[in-house]
Amino acid sequence: MTRIGRRLRGWTNGVLDLPQDVLQELPRITLIGNKELHIENHRGVLNFSSGQLTIALVNGSLEISGEGLMIRNILGQELAVEGIIGEIRYKGSEEKP
Amino acid sequence: MKEPPLSTLRGFVTLHVTGPQVEKFINAVAEAGIVIWEVKPAGDGASLNLLLDDFFALRPLLKKTGCRMHVTARNGLPFRAARLWRRKLFAAGIFLFGVTLLLFCSMIWTIRVEGNKLIASDDILAAARQEGVYPYQWIWRMEDPDKLSKKLASRVPGISWVGVERTGTSITIQVVEADRPESKPLLSQRHLVSRTDAVVTEIYAEQGRPVVGIHSRVKKGQILISGALGDEENTQYVVAKGEVKGLVWHEYNIEVPLKTTSSSYTGERKDRTYLVLGDWAVQLWGYGKSGFDKSRTLTENNMLTWRSLQLPLGVMTEKELQVQYTSSVKTAEEARADGIARAKNDILARYGADSTIKSQKILHEKKDNGKVYMKVLFEVEEKIAEELPIVNN
Repeated sequence: MTRIGRRLRGWTNGVLDLPQDVLQELPRITLIGNKELHIENHRGVLNFSSGQLTIALVNGSLEISGEGLMIRNILGQELAVEGIIGEIRYKGSEEKP
Repeated sequence: MKEPPLSTLRGFVTLHVTGPQVEKFINAVAEAGIVIWEVKPAGDGASLNLLLDDFFALRPLLKKTGCRMHVTARNGLPFRAARLWRRKLFAAGIFLFGVTLLLFCSMIWTIRVEGNKLIASDDILAAARQEGVYPYQWIWRMEDPDKLSKKLASRVPGISWVGVERTGTSITIQVVEADRPESKPLLSQRHLVSRTDAVVTEIYAEQGRPVVGIHSRVKKGQILISGALGDEENTQYVVAKGEVKGLVWHEYNIEVPLKTTSSSYTGERKDRTYLVLGDWAVQLWGYGKSGFDKSRTLTENNMLTWRSLQLPLGVMTEKELQVQYTSSVKTAEEARADGIARAKNDILARYGADSTIKSQKILHEKKDNGKVYMKVLFEVEEKIAEELPIVNN
C-alpha cells in the first residue's frame, strides 16, 4: 500500500468514525472472562503448547500464556482459544503511519 | 460454534499429529479451508478433531509439513454403521424385532360382542368371520367399520343396529337387537267345564260353543263351553275360551274366641356380641343382665367364609328383645262381625277378587267356653269355568 493510500485511509477513518478492524486489517480480539479468547484476522499459529500460545497477526504477534490452553476451532481467519488465560501480550511491529 | 453442524452424523476422527512443526501443519490446514476443532497439545504433538470427509485431503499437507499422524478415535454414524455391518446377525435381529412388533400391532387379537341377549355371540362372530373380521386378521385387510356394520346388520337376522369399533388391536361389535313380538302361549284344544255345582248367571264364549244358558243348574264337571264345533260327522276341535259366572253356596263353620292375647315388642333391647372359635364362644360386648321380665332372644351367626369353605371363626350376635303381652275381650257382636269378615276375605282369596257375595245367612250360633261358634251360608257369584283338555284317541 502506498504511503498516500495509507494516509487517505487514516483520514477516512477519522472523518467517518469507522472501526479500525473493518478498514485496516487489524485483529479483533475478544476476551470472555479468563476462559475464552476469540481472535479474528489472525495469520496463523506460531507456537503451540498447553502453557503458551503464540499467534501471528498482520503486524506482530499475540502471546497468550495460561493453563490447559486449547484451540477450540480454527478457520481461515477465525480462531478461538479455550482454557485458563493468565496473560496476553501484544507484540507490535507496526511501522509508523 | 464448537464443531461443524451434524458432525456426529457425518462422522469425525480424532488425530494425534506429531512432527517438528505442528503449528505449521495447523496453519496449512486452516488455510486449506479444512475445519478442525479441539486442538489440544498432547505429548510431543497435538490432538485434533477432523471431519471424515476432509481426512483424505490431509495427506499432501502432512507430507508438505513433515508431520506424522495416527488416528486415536473414530466417532459418528459412518463408523457405527460399519461396526454394525460387521455384526450382521445382530443388526438383522434388531430389524426383525421392529418388523415383528409392527406386524403384531397391525393384527386383530380380540373380538368382543356386546349388547346381545337372545342372539348367540357365536352367531354374530360367525357372521363377522364371513365379513373378514376374525382374530389374527390384518387390520389393513378389513373394510371400514361403517361398511362392516351395515353388512353385519344385514347378515344377522333379528338385529336392528350394529356398531363396529376398533381400538388398537381389539374390535368391539355393539349390537342392538330388534324387538320381537311377544310369543303367545301355545294352547291345546279344550272344553271349559264347571268347577263346582252352581247356577249359571253369566256366560260369554269368546271361542267355542256355549252349551248351557243363564239360570241353568250345572253339576261339577259339566261342559259349559264346548271346544268341539260342527256335527258328529264333521267335528273340529278348538281352544274354548270365555267367561262363565255362577251362583255358588259356601257353608262356613266359624269359631271366634272372645278373649285374645297378643304379644308385641316394646323396642327395648340388649345386644351381646361373641367371638366364636370352633365350639367356643367368648363374649366381647354386652355384659350384664338385661332386666327384662319377658323377652325373646334372637341369635345371629356371622362366620368367616373363604370361597365356599366355612371357617371355624366368626362373630355371634345375640339380641334380647323385651316383649309385652296384651289381652283384650270382645263382645259377642264384635266376635260375630269379626268371624264373618274373616270368612268373606277367605272367599275372595280362594275364588277370585271379582267374586261378589250376594247374600249371607247365619244358620246356627252358639256361645260356649269363651268362644262363639257359627255356621254361615254364603251365596257367592264367582267364576266357575275350568279347563278340560280334549284328548283325541
